[in-house]
Order: sequence, then C-alpha cells, then structure tokens
Amino acid sequence: MVHRHRTRSIGSVFDRSVREELRAMAGWTFGLAVYAFAMGAVFTSIHTNPLFDQIAKNYPEALKSLFQMSDYTTGVGYMRVEVVAVIAPLLVITFSILWGGDLLAGEEDRGTLDLLLANPVSRSRVFLEKFAALALGMFAAAGGLVLGLVVGSPLFDLKLGTSACLATGVSIALLALLFGTLALALGAATGSRGIARGLTVLVVVVAYLVSGLADLVTWLKQVRPFSPWYHAMAIDPLGTGWHLWHLVALLGVTVVIAAVGALAFERRDLST
Amino acid sequence: MNSTVGPPAIELHGVTKHYKGGGGVDELTLRVERGEIFGYLGPNGAGKSTTIRMLVDLIRPDVGTISVLGLDARRDSIEVHRRIGYLPGELTLYERLSAREILGHFAHLRGLDAEAYESLAGRLHLQLDRVVRELSKGNRQKVGLIQALMGDPELLILDEPTSGLDPLIQHEVHDELRRAASEGRTVLLSSHVLSEVAEIADRVGIIREGRLIAVEQVDEFRQRAIHLVDATFASPPTPEVRGALEAAGGTFETSHKVHLEIPSERLSELVKVLSGAEVVDLWVREPALQELFLSLYEHGEA
Repeated sequence: MVHRHRTRSIGSVFDRSVREELRAMAGWTFGLAVYAFAMGAVFTSIHTNPLFDQIAKNYPEALKSLFQMSDYTTGVGYMRVEVVAVIAPLLVITFSILWGGDLLAGEEDRGTLDLLLANPVSRSRVFLEKFAALALGMFAAAGGLVLGLVVGSPLFDLKLGTSACLATGVSIALLALLFGTLALALGAATGSRGIARGLTVLVVVVAYLVSGLADLVTWLKQVRPFSPWYHAMAIDPLGTGWHLWHLVALLGVTVVIAAVGALAFERRDLST
Repeated sequence: MNSTVGPPAIELHGVTKHYKGGGGVDELTLRVERGEIFGYLGPNGAGKSTTIRMLVDLIRPDVGTISVLGLDARRDSIEVHRRIGYLPGELTLYERLSAREILGHFAHLRGLDAEAYESLAGRLHLQLDRVVRELSKGNRQKVGLIQALMGDPELLILDEPTSGLDPLIQHEVHDELRRAASEGRTVLLSSHVLSEVAEIADRVGIIREGRLIAVEQVDEFRQRAIHLVDATFASPPTPEVRGALEAAGGTFETSHKVHLEIPSERLSELVKVLSGAEVVDLWVREPALQELFLSLYEHGEA
C-alpha cells in the first residue's frame, strides 16, 4: 500500500527523537491527567466516610511510611497517598526508563547509530539532544499530572494549592528525569538496553526503600540524602510546596550523570 | 585517475584492531589517492567493515594512525565527517520516517538544503514521500546511497554499496560513483564479490583474515583473467579456421579438437571464428576473477 506521508521536515537529533516518541509522550501525558482526575473524583465518597480514617490509622507503620500516609481524609493527604507520593512518580519514572534506555542504546541496537554519527555532529552533542528530548518528555508527562490535579481540585473539593501542584509536577519531572538520564547514560556507556533499564530499575527501587523507610530505621536516615526520592517526594511538595534546594540537588545529580554518560559514550567503540 | 591534490584521501599506518571474540585487522597499512576508485575486497568477516568503521571513527584502533583527507580520523572526526559520505555495510534506517524526513534530517546535520538530495532522488528514481517501512531493500539502499552522495563529499566510503541490489540499480549506482571520480572525488567501496568491484574500481586491495595481502591495478589484473576454451568439431576445420585458431594461441590435440586460453575480451572474436566450422561440443570455462584471486593469494601474503 502506498500512502503519502505528509510531513513537517525534521532538523536536529532532538527534533527527530521527540517526533519518534510523540505518540507515546502524548499517551503518558493524557494517561496521567486522567489518572489524577479520576482519583480526585473518588475522594468525594471518601472524605464523607469516617470509616476510611479509621482504616488508615490502623495501617502498619511501614506501609504508612512508604506511602506517606497521614491525613487520609483531607484532599492533600488523600491525593498524596493515592497519586502523588508513589504511583504517579512511578508511572513517569517508568516512561523515563523505557525511553531513556532506548534513546541511544536502542538506536545502536537497531543499527541506526552508525549512520547518524557519521554526520558532522559530535557524540556529546547527540547525547545532549537526546537528554533534552527526554527532559521535554518528563515535563510533558508531569504536566499532564498537574493538569489533572489542578482541574480536579475545585471540582472535587480537594483544596490543593495550585503552586503546590506545580511544585509536585516539577519534583516528579526532575525525579523521573534523573532516573531516565541514568538509563540514557548506562545505555550510552554499554550499548545495551537491557543493562540500562535493568540497573536503573534496581536503583529506583533501592532509592525508594531508603527514602520510604528512613523514618522507621535509624541508620537509613543517614543515607536518605543520597536517595533522589527523598529530595523529590519525601519533602512533600503537595503539602508544603516548593523546596528549591532539593530540586537543585536533583538537577545537579542529573547533570553529573549526563556528563559521565556523554564522556563514556565519546570514548567507546560502537557495536555493529 | 586524477592527479593528487593535497594529502592522500586515506592513509592507514600500522593499524591493528582486535576484538575480544576474535576478528579485526592486523598491521594495516594502506594509502588511497585522491580521485581514485578503490575497491576493498575480501570475504565476509575479513576485516573490511572494521577498517571502514575506523575511518569513520565509529570504532578506534588499538594501535596505528589513521588519517582521512589529511585529518586525524579521531581527533578531527567532525571535520572529517563534514567532508565524507558514508554508507554502512548493514544499513538500517528509521522505519517510521519517510525517505524525505530522513534525508532532510541528515541534510540539516550537514548544513545542506533539500536540493542536495532531491536531484539525486530524481536520478535514482526514488520516491521520497514513502515511509521506510514500506520500501523495498533496493529502495532503502538508495536512501542510504543518497545520504552518502548528497552535497558531493570529497570522499565516499561505501561498505558493500550494491550488495543485494538488482543489476539495473547497481548500474545506476556505478554511474554515480564514476561521476564522482570524474570530478576528482575519491571513492572507497568494499565488497566480497570481485566482479562487483572490478567493474568500477581503479585499484583493488584484498584483505584476508585481517591482513591486507595485495593491492592491484584492476586493468593489469583483468588481463590475467583468461578463459579456457575446448572445442570439438564434426570434421577437421578448414585451413582458414585452423589458422585463425592457431593464431589465437589454440593448440590442436587432435585434428578435431582445439584448446585455447584467451582473455575475456577476445571471446566474441573467437565465436565468430568457430562459426566457420561445425562445432559438436564447446566448453568455455571462466575461472571467475574471484577464484583467480583466491588461487593467486591462497597462501597468505604475496
């Protein structure tokens, strides 16, 4: 079948990377918006029912700590547990690992990287443009979440602050970008999507447990600052708004990971 | 062949590259002059792609120096890439993009405009607006060739450019390469099929098991490509025919039977002579150039 393919022309590597992922990006963004909105809708039947507060109070401490459960019957407390603290970040992180792990390692695996890098563009430049595409994707997906929160809040009487919703979105975007960059860098350094994604998932889980259980386990409290989850979510952006230095810390670590990844990519033989 | 302008197009000196699983190249020293078409020949796995990918800085040598257009292949890779066109041996394109999008993308990276590939697409009869997924192998290869040829780079590095292409397209591609060479540009192309390379190259380098074992002028080599002919006649041929055959170097084993060894370009002449007699059996054996090469270089270094 011959079908005409009407197109806007593609310029940079960033351009093409975004274009190739556009549908997925739209899907994640829309999905997160719907998810946040739908969970908000459920809240109306919860905060009028005192039973839920009772149930929530009886939860094991470990679970309360992991899910940041405290005031289940307020809009903020409910949305924190059900959407913001764990599930939404995990969704955006999933997107970031899938895409980040594919951005360079996938091109190498499919065999398109040889042709691309024979152009007069440095490997670092290609890495940087892939990183920029990933960042755009993370902010788009987190933007969907923010939209769902902000639109749902007045409708379902969640009483979420708009600024706090934005702070939450930025926290989640930067958290996912950090892990996505790790997957990108590992893929760039090894050429293997499997290694890139697998190792990153491991890091995500360990970092999450460190941050989530630190309130219960004394020695974890000391290592908690090393967990990106702490800087993004444990500081509770939905309840307490902006924490600039924690966001700067996330971004700083991301930049370091990106720099190391780009360097490893520059120095390596590409596989056929 | 054109005169040499500036440094050679390609110069490898003592280049060794080994892989963990075996393979690679050993102490490769090679020089390709400006304006020539150089055929890089060897069986699969001999080290052709390894060499080519080092020229394009996709992989780096363990030891040795590589300069391309007088520039260091690694240190000056961006400048090198600006001035060369490259076609990988195993071409893979972005499946979901159209040929136009892909070529536009690479043209952008090279600072070229759409005209650079549109004229080539016209000459090679490629429909630009079809998605790569829908393209045949031949058309995909055309996309690869166009991106290598666009902007008229000074040096074309083509890894098996016509492999798997039908003869018609192969012919078109060869025309493009001859055109490039006639403009003083340089072409390095690899193949594992000699005839493919011999048709177009000025010189051929042969690589086996990672070692360059010979570099030959194709013209000189071609003259050695003789055909063995055995003809049997119903009755002894007329003196004129016999005389003509003997003049061509034929030896009569019996009065009915002649054996000749003649270069390929004289075959049609021979057929005319033979038509003057009643031939009952005719054997023409062409030692394929390939076999000839192999027999010449069977035992490693020449």
